[in-house]
Amino acid sequence: MKRYWWLALIFVGALILPMVIEVFWVHIAIEILILGLFAVSFNMIFGYMGQLSFGHAAYYGVGAYATGLLMVKTSVPLPLCLPVSMIAAGICALIFGYFCIRLTGIYFAILTMAFGQLMYYIIFQWYSFTGGDDGLQGIVPPDFLFGATAYYYFTLFIVTAALIIMWYISESPFGYTMRAIRDNTDRTRFIGINVRKYMLINFVIAGMFAGLAGGLLGPFNRSVAPDLCNWHQSGIPVFMTVIGGPLGFFGPMIGSVIYTFLFAFVTGFTEYWPLVIGVVITFVVLFVPGGVLGLAEVRMKILRSKRVKTEANESLDMESG
Amino acid sequence: MEEAIAILQVEHLNKAFGGLKANHEVNYEMKAGELSAIIGPNGAGKSTFFNLLTGYHRVDSGEVRYKGRNITNWPPHKIARLGIARAFQVSNIYPALTTYENVRQAILTQQKRTLNFFTPARLIARQETLDLLEITGLSEYTNVVSGNLAQGDKKRLELAIALGCKPDLLFLDEPTAGMSGEETHETMGLVERFNKEMDLTILFTEHDMSVVFGYARRLTVLHQGTIIAQGTPEEVRANETAQKIYLGEEA
Repeated sequence: MKRYWWLALIFVGALILPMVIEVFWVHIAIEILILGLFAVSFNMIFGYMGQLSFGHAAYYGVGAYATGLLMVKTSVPLPLCLPVSMIAAGICALIFGYFCIRLTGIYFAILTMAFGQLMYYIIFQWYSFTGGDDGLQGIVPPDFLFGATAYYYFTLFIVTAALIIMWYISESPFGYTMRAIRDNTDRTRFIGINVRKYMLINFVIAGMFAGLAGGLLGPFNRSVAPDLCNWHQSGIPVFMTVIGGPLGFFGPMIGSVIYTFLFAFVTGFTEYWPLVIGVVITFVVLFVPGGVLGLAEVRMKILRSKRVKTEANESLDMESG
Repeated sequence: MEEAIAILQVEHLNKAFGGLKANHEVNYEMKAGELSAIIGPNGAGKSTFFNLLTGYHRVDSGEVRYKGRNITNWPPHKIARLGIARAFQVSNIYPALTTYENVRQAILTQQKRTLNFFTPARLIARQETLDLLEITGLSEYTNVVSGNLAQGDKKRLELAIALGCKPDLLFLDEPTAGMSGEETHETMGLVERFNKEMDLTILFTEHDMSVVFGYARRLTVLHQGTIIAQGTPEEVRANETAQKIYLGEEA
């Protein structure tokens, strides 16, 4: 467990953060956490299962609408809405995933995107239930979570808990079975794994955590809109994961920090955000293919091997001296 | 004397790819505890035969029975669950995982622990995995990412994965391809040991005749999808058709 001291350090930093920054940046921090959770859940499919979901926003949107509808139309308290968001998104992922996991590669990506767009148009058109393109307004968090700082701590708590659970899953035999499927699907079948069943379970879990992220978003924005399901929303976790690195658990979270911070910073003085992120993504794909985390790993390996070499040299020196 | 039970029975097995009859009316039987080989030139249908038995291809017609149970056209994972493991001709491993993680995956699956979501995998099946790595001579590569192993070691790793499934019946498709002479005999010695000590029934294909005649106790010769000779190594060696078609000038 010693290796993880830096995680504790980051958590303590996250606890202190709202005391030292302005309210504007607290809002950005909340967004980083929510989108980071969304991206980490996406990476359960991309990094661990080896399939690109280009419709992950469907589950994010369904989660957002589940909590939004409950809070606008009923008086269910927020902490109870979030599990409903997870279940609603999970059911949605079960239905769509049943078809998607039959395909791999580009076909998987296209079908997930098609289902994502399907969800988008359902929400867009269903005025009587979802409010259509007006979205849902007036999703007000309960009094004790009203301020930005309070909502930040609430989000931090939920996202941390969700990350711990996902971390455990990724390190569990199930998580390693997903890596096995990613690495060699046939070999995995021939040791006795029902590959489709495992892929579907993983797809549903990823959808549930995307739903949780969506559930946190509504009360934060005070509203939800059908755009949450749209395909460019599905692109956000892809970008974040590419920037942060898909092969480490925290890669997408690092990606979220960079992406969201950059977005807030850049849109402050120019409207050409797509141009900026386009350049960043191009740079990362061409020069840092493993993302920030991949780069850090390479650096650390170089450092370690250097240290080992120096130690070896020192011991040699001692022998000869 | 007690009659050994048939662990595998294959009847009138047919498989064609387009116009090519890859397996034609193949009848085959194995008794529990056998160590046998299928030989035949390239394209004789050996790999197809394995693929049909393990559910990789659908059979056109015919029946496959394992311990008396009809398993024809079962999906691969169900066949594997029954205790039939295989190693492929081209080493089929998890290249991004370490040697240890490769073998552990098979053991976790065999122990039905892959639906465990909350115990870190590194705490499970540790001793079993290390033992199997020791037995298969892969201990020194425990933490090496398996994609970086030498070709012979990859083949040995795949054998270890197959053994990790604790099978009753094992198919090995050219288990020593790409190995040096020394490695070949180490590996086949291991195969023989598992056959004797664990009572594992093994069927393998091989091009190296010294391996075939040195280890297999029963031979089957496949040619253009059809069995043309069967028997002890001596009988096959003496069989004229087999000589003509396959063993040719070598014998």
